[in-house]
Amino acid sequence: MRLSAPPLARASMVAALCVPAAMLIALTSGTSGWGWPQSDILWLLRFPRAMAAFGVGAALALGGAVIQLVTRNPLGEPHVLGITGGASVGALAALMLLPMGTRFAAEGGAILGAMLAMTLVFTLSWRALGRGLSPVTQPGTVTVLLIGMMLSAASSALVAILLAIASEQQLRGLLFWLLGDLNGASLWWPVWVAAIVALLMVLPRAHELDWLARGDAWAWTLGVPVAQRRRHALAAASLAIGLAVATAGAVGFVGLVAPHVVRLCGLRSARLLMPFSALFGGAFLVVADTVARTVVAPSQLPVGVVSACVGVPLFVWLLLRQRSAR
Amino acid sequence: MTTTLFHGAPATCSLDALTLHAGGRADGRVLCSDLSLQFAPGERWVVLGPNGAGKSTLIAALAGLSAPHAGAVHIDGVPIARARAQALAQRRSWCPQFWLDPFAAAAWETVACAIEATHPELSADDTQRAAREWLAQFDMGVLADNDVRALSGGERQRVALATAFAQRAPLVLLDEPTAHLDWAHQVLLRDVLFDWSAAGGTIVTAVHDINLAWTIATHALLFNGRGRVRWGTREDILTAELLSNAYDIDISVRNEDGARWFRVELGAAENRR
Repeated sequence: MRLSAPPLARASMVAALCVPAAMLIALTSGTSGWGWPQSDILWLLRFPRAMAAFGVGAALALGGAVIQLVTRNPLGEPHVLGITGGASVGALAALMLLPMGTRFAAEGGAILGAMLAMTLVFTLSWRALGRGLSPVTQPGTVTVLLIGMMLSAASSALVAILLAIASEQQLRGLLFWLLGDLNGASLWWPVWVAAIVALLMVLPRAHELDWLARGDAWAWTLGVPVAQRRRHALAAASLAIGLAVATAGAVGFVGLVAPHVVRLCGLRSARLLMPFSALFGGAFLVVADTVARTVVAPSQLPVGVVSACVGVPLFVWLLLRQRSAR
Repeated sequence: MTTTLFHGAPATCSLDALTLHAGGRADGRVLCSDLSLQFAPGERWVVLGPNGAGKSTLIAALAGLSAPHAGAVHIDGVPIARARAQALAQRRSWCPQFWLDPFAAAAWETVACAIEATHPELSADDTQRAAREWLAQFDMGVLADNDVRALSGGERQRVALATAFAQRAPLVLLDEPTAHLDWAHQVLLRDVLFDWSAAGGTIVTAVHDINLAWTIATHALLFNGRGRVRWGTREDILTAELLSNAYDIDISVRNEDGARWFRVELGAAENRR
């Protein structure tokens, strides 16, 4: 199968058109139909929410792209490392332990939980991460993924315990957080900062992530400090994912699919893959969230449900189109 | 092709009382002990021995990938354990036996990785051009845009070889480079190896085909699978006696105009154990 050269110019043009278009759709559509809203609705409701959606989508897509590259696993996604699980436990614990009405309790708890989960993943897989160099031993990437999955499982157990011991009053708040939609997103800019910082962390050494994806030992012979680079990239990914989860809860799907969509469009090298995944993920989630809050108005759907409903057919179509071209 | 094949001065690589254990473990089987020798510029070494005797482990130790149990590997007189990975990338390239291709990538993009690593100063266009030249060198020119995951074993192997040489380090370490290659491409590889060593480069390669080993080598290093290693010129090492002992089967040698032909009596009763 021949692979075409990366369509960089076309992709940039599509991104330059689609991102503002997505934002425009989000700003002009509401429960009462289309049209330019009043300035209060625009600036206090729709604009922050659209910005939060874009930031969350971009952060998750970027995290997914990085995790797929450094774990060398096409099934890698933001929630596979256990960060989301840790953030959920942290957010719920903060909501329960802190007095009601504490500002940003859930967000702070989620960030703390995400950091704790990440520290655990790193500590437990530390040796395995450095072991991939010797061609005679198993690479450590599988260990990282398994540890992440175990952490996720442990987190769900802890979440269940917290829900079981929560009082009737608290339960409502906890469940709203766990459902995780953008309705409660109060601050849009922290996730933007996290996504931008994460992108700046990984972009200068993006080409080395491409080498890493082709084997630890080989990347090392090309001069990459393998364990260090992987830790660095995973730290960037967890920063983005942690803030995304703290902002909107566990939004699925976009982190797994955005990098694949970008790859199928021909943007294969990490240096293009990561920024375009972020752009696609962001625009995608803005549209998905707009649908989520308008399609069954006056009630709302969780954005994750919509992103799966829109994303699955899109992804399957791209996959099959690729097959038939072979 | 550029005028100089590799960058910088020829590399000297020496083993200093090297002891290797299987799997890199202290309690592992001893593969070789107290091995001291030098791979000099212009020499082409083949590493021979039965399965699991230590060929890949030695190649990995030479690349600096695995720490030896005792002793040291020196490249340009510097212990490899103390050299920086980036500096090493300019001095030796390593072509592994197995490749991981988890994501779609064109063949030239894979070769370009190695060029980018050692020649970051090149523009993207120049890198791509050089990658395509190296692929053409290995008869992969028309397949340069193909997805590496859809290539045949031999084609993937040639991409790997192009990648290793594209790094343009004087010392080239190859692990079973001919495993998937047909005869025509084995001859092609031999020609590249001869050019490389003629320019002062050093080759160390693990192979299984003894006839091929005779054809491409100036020197040979033979693991016997029981912790003993013999090395020297190909004439001294590729003998019926040493090979039969190492592989534990009867290998006969026929001399013809200074060339040696090796064969195994596969049908002979004494070889069926």
